[in-house]
Formats: sequence, C-alpha cells, structure tokens
Amino acid sequence: MVEIAILAFAVLVILLTIGVPLPYCFGAGLIVMTTVGEASMRGMMLWGFSQLTNPVLLAIPLFVFAGTIMSISGIAASLLDFVNIFIGRIRGGLGVVAAISCAIIGAISGSGLTGIAAIGPLLIPEMERKGYPRAYATALVANSSILGLLIPPSVTMIVYGWVTDTSILACFLATLGPGLLIMTNFSIVNLVMSRKFPLILDDPMPMKQLMSEASKRTVSAVPALLMPVIILGGIYGGIMTPTEAAAVAVIYSLPVGFMIYKGLTFKTLLESGKESATAVGAILIMILFSLMLSQIYVMEDIPQMLVDKIFEITDDKVLLLILVNLFLFAIGMVVNDITAIILTAPLLLPLMSALGVSPIQFAAIMGVNTAMGGVTPPYASILYLGARIGKVKFTEVVKPAMLLILFGYIPVVILVSVWPDLSEYFPRAFGY
Amino acid sequence: MEQMFRYILTALISTVAACQFIQVITRYVFETPIMGLEETALIPTIWLYIMGSVNASREDTQIRANVLEIFLKTDHARAILQAISEVISIAISIWLTWWAWLYFSYSIRVWKGTPTLYIPTFIYESALFIGLLMMTAFTIWHLIRNVQYLLGYRTKPDHEIDPDLPTTNEVEEFKILADTQKGDNNG
Repeated sequence: MVEIAILAFAVLVILLTIGVPLPYCFGAGLIVMTTVGEASMRGMMLWGFSQLTNPVLLAIPLFVFAGTIMSISGIAASLLDFVNIFIGRIRGGLGVVAAISCAIIGAISGSGLTGIAAIGPLLIPEMERKGYPRAYATALVANSSILGLLIPPSVTMIVYGWVTDTSILACFLATLGPGLLIMTNFSIVNLVMSRKFPLILDDPMPMKQLMSEASKRTVSAVPALLMPVIILGGIYGGIMTPTEAAAVAVIYSLPVGFMIYKGLTFKTLLESGKESATAVGAILIMILFSLMLSQIYVMEDIPQMLVDKIFEITDDKVLLLILVNLFLFAIGMVVNDITAIILTAPLLLPLMSALGVSPIQFAAIMGVNTAMGGVTPPYASILYLGARIGKVKFTEVVKPAMLLILFGYIPVVILVSVWPDLSEYFPRAFGY
Repeated sequence: MEQMFRYILTALISTVAACQFIQVITRYVFETPIMGLEETALIPTIWLYIMGSVNASREDTQIRANVLEIFLKTDHARAILQAISEVISIAISIWLTWWAWLYFSYSIRVWKGTPTLYIPTFIYESALFIGLLMMTAFTIWHLIRNVQYLLGYRTKPDHEIDPDLPTTNEVEEFKILADTQKGDNNG
C-alpha cells in the first residue's frame, strides 16, 4: 500500500507541476487511492464535509477579512508615523521601521501578504526618497511582511493546529519567538547594509517637540494598536476563542475604517469582502480534498509505514532534521504556505514525534520554513506582490531579498530545529 | 457576474462575522448565549466557503503551483499547458462532482435536521454538489477561451504573464489592497 500511496503522491506532484489547481491535484490522489489502491470513497464526502463545519476553520476567513479591512482603512499610515517618530531618525532607522511595522501588522492580520500590501506603498517610496535603493527597500518590506505568518494570529498555524490536532493557541505562540528573532535579525542586517547607502537623514528634533509629536502620533495610532490587544488579549485572556476574536476584529475594524481612519468606503468593503471570501474558498476546498486523501492515508496506516521505511535507511536525528528542513524549503518554493502544511504536516508529524520533536516545536519548524516559501521563487507570492507595489522588476528584487534571507532568516530556521526552547518558551509560559 | 459575487460573498462573510460577534456579546456580556445561533451560522459559513471557491474558479485564481509555466517563453506554449491542465481538472472535477452528487442524494433521502432548531441540514449540505458543478462549468469556460486563443479566435490568452512581474493566485487576490494604497499614497 505504501507504493500506491507514493504513486498517488507522485501523480499529485506531477499535476501540481503542470499547473492543475491544488484541489484537483488532491482529487487525482483520491482517484489513484480508490481505483489502484482499492481504498473506499464511500462516506468520504460526508466525513470530509463534516470537517468543514468545525468552527476553528471559521477563524481563517475572519482574520483575512479583518486584516484586509484594517489595511485598506489607512491604518498603515498611522502605524508608520508612530514607529517612525521613535526610530526613524537614526541611520538605517527607516528599515527598522519596516520590520517593526510589519510585525505589528502581523499581530492584526494572519496573512503574510498584508504587511507588504499595507506598508509597502507608503514606505518604499519614502525609503527611496531617503536614499535607499528601491529594489532593496522593496525586498526589505516584502521579507518583513513574512512576519504576518509568524506573529500571532497566523492563518498557517490555524491550519497546522487543525490538521495535526495540536492546540492552535500553542501553535500561535510557537512561532512568536522565531518571529521576534527574525524581526531583530532584519533590523540588524538592515542597519549594517544601510551603511553603504547614501542616506538623507532628518535633523534631530528638539526633545520638547519630539515629545509633543510622539504623543500626537501615539493618540492617532491607538485605534490601530488596540486591535492586537483585543485579538491577543481576548484569546490569551481566556475571554474568546480565536474564531470569536477574529469576528470581533472584523466588527471593530468597520468603525475604525469608516469613521476614524476613513480609508474604508462601501466600494472597498465590497471588494475586500469578495477577495477575502475568494481567497478562503480556494483554501478550504483544497483543505476538504486534502483531508479526504489524508484520511485514506491514515486509514491505511501510511504515515507510520513511511516512518518505518525512513528509519530503515537512517534514524540519525540531526540528519533527518536537516533533510526535513530541506524538504520543507523545497516544498515552500513551489507551493504556498498553507498548501505546504496540508501536504506535509500529517505525513511528517509521526516522524517528528518518533524523533522526539514535540508537535509545538514542529509547528515552529513548519511555520518558519513555509513562511520563507513566500519569498523564495518560483512560488514567491510575497515577493511578487512586493515587486508590483515597489514598481521594480522582479529580477532586481531577488538579490537583496536572498541576502536578507541568508543573514536574517536562515539562522532562525536552523535555531528553531536545534533549540526547542525558542519555539516552546512562550507556549510553556502560557501553560501549554 | 462580478458585481453579483461581490455582493453575495461580502454579505456571506459579514453575516458570519456578525453571528460570531453576537455570540460573543450574548455569551460574555449578557451571559445568555442565543440557542441555535451556531447551527444557524453554519448555513452562511458553508456557503461562504463554497461560493468563495466557485468565484476562485470563475476568476481562475484557484491555488496552483505554476512551476512549469514560469519556464515557458511564449503565450502560445503557456496556453497549451493551461488547456492540458484544464482538461485534466475537468475530468477530476467531474469525478468529484459525481461523489458530491451521491452525498447530495443521500442528504435529500435522509433529510436530517439540526439538533436545536431542526433546520434541514440539506440547506448547507447541498452546497458541495452545487459548488462543484459550478466549478466544473467555469473550468470548461476557461478551457473554451484557451482553445479559442489557440485556434486564433481570440487575440489574448485567457491568462497573460508578465515575466518582469510574475504573479500567483494570492497576488491577484491581494491586488485590491495594493491598488487602493497605491491610488492614495504612491503618487
């Protein structure tokens, strides 16, 4: 049966390569398993459909919708002004503003694309005016945008928690440590790299003026800064489930968008509603068929058989961790983050458990690897969107982006695998 | 069609958010949760997922990897690859629709009700079959457009690619954010 499961996986990968939509690729896997492998499809639609009724999944569209509304509403300008007043005047400070602002946006939205979409159009031209090369500015904001997937709440962690039956709240916290470390790394790399650029620095502000400006901008940013407080405070204070917090975030973002920042109009609300729903529909139909395939795999005991086969070759933990990371990196290059998790998490988790890696640490390993896929071509959605927003050729963005990945991201990927505390500290502190 | 999907999908996602919000307020503020709200909310929730996916098929923004497409140089070659991928998609979609039809028939036969309000579960269980049927139809529509281009009846392919600015379905979905912000701030 392992051979047929591998055949189904191979068919899935071939179809994926030629551009067949993912839901149909999983459908093809189901066809192979039921025709060649003689697994039963009977009752599978009923079972798969019942999984969609899980309220946890509802958090995905709601977080995406809330993030989109907040981004359209003009929240980014006030956040940037707020962060900029504190660190924007030091050499390379604007690059640090990019990293921190994307982290704050990450605490509002669960998607990796919101940061670049919300911050990029404002910050990239401003960085260019101050002497940063446009391609570098685009690469920095796009790379920082990944933080949206690592700073809770995170759509990918909802999916991981759901498919592996791990606490979603613990998964959120698992990627927080790595996310903060990546933010710090990007800031340091930027401070070093910006020494090469002919930057134009603003004159220092007198302390009195600085204080008055800081208080003004803080007041203006309060509605935006309250959103992560409501979401994360609500979830970790035990007041709301992630789904309820996401719904509250949507409702909260409406008056903030319409009346406070005034960037939201009825037309843009309609557009963001449609786009959020479409993005989520595409994800959930894929989840439905992938779950059905996974269920057939589980019923046939395929994941355990795979673990046994792998252990016949080697049981060296370090080697297997390196191979798993390379595998996830390669998968992240060709599919998006959620697909990568759905494809690999149910298959790899038994192997990780056998190696003594906890599901929470594995959440972080998967989280950082698949998030990195968003900026590694050929399937580099975040970088593609960055190139569009920054109005630079994609080929020009690749080099600075790869430098940032090499020095800012890869060290964290390695650390997450070898240092469990990096991912387990926050979950442990919150009692998970 | 575009306008219709805009209204339907925004109405569905807003209803779902409102139901959850009402539940939070009644449960935590008034400490009297509304009975049956969760099972009622399942109707817009499931239809939101399915209609979102139907719209992704309509817009041709279903999640895909496009690994090979990037290496092809001409629109003609890409259109051929897309046509092949669409033929395969249609075949698989028909197979899945057949199984969804069996589930649909089962749902009519059994005619279950929800535990509290006895709302027929068929209202949302029917979404999968109807959704897959529509997804198949839209995939056929895209195939026809691609074949028309390959036969010279259309001047542009169904899906154009700019090698300087590659794209994915997610980039397309988030265009609204980028476009809105650009219009406001990028000069």
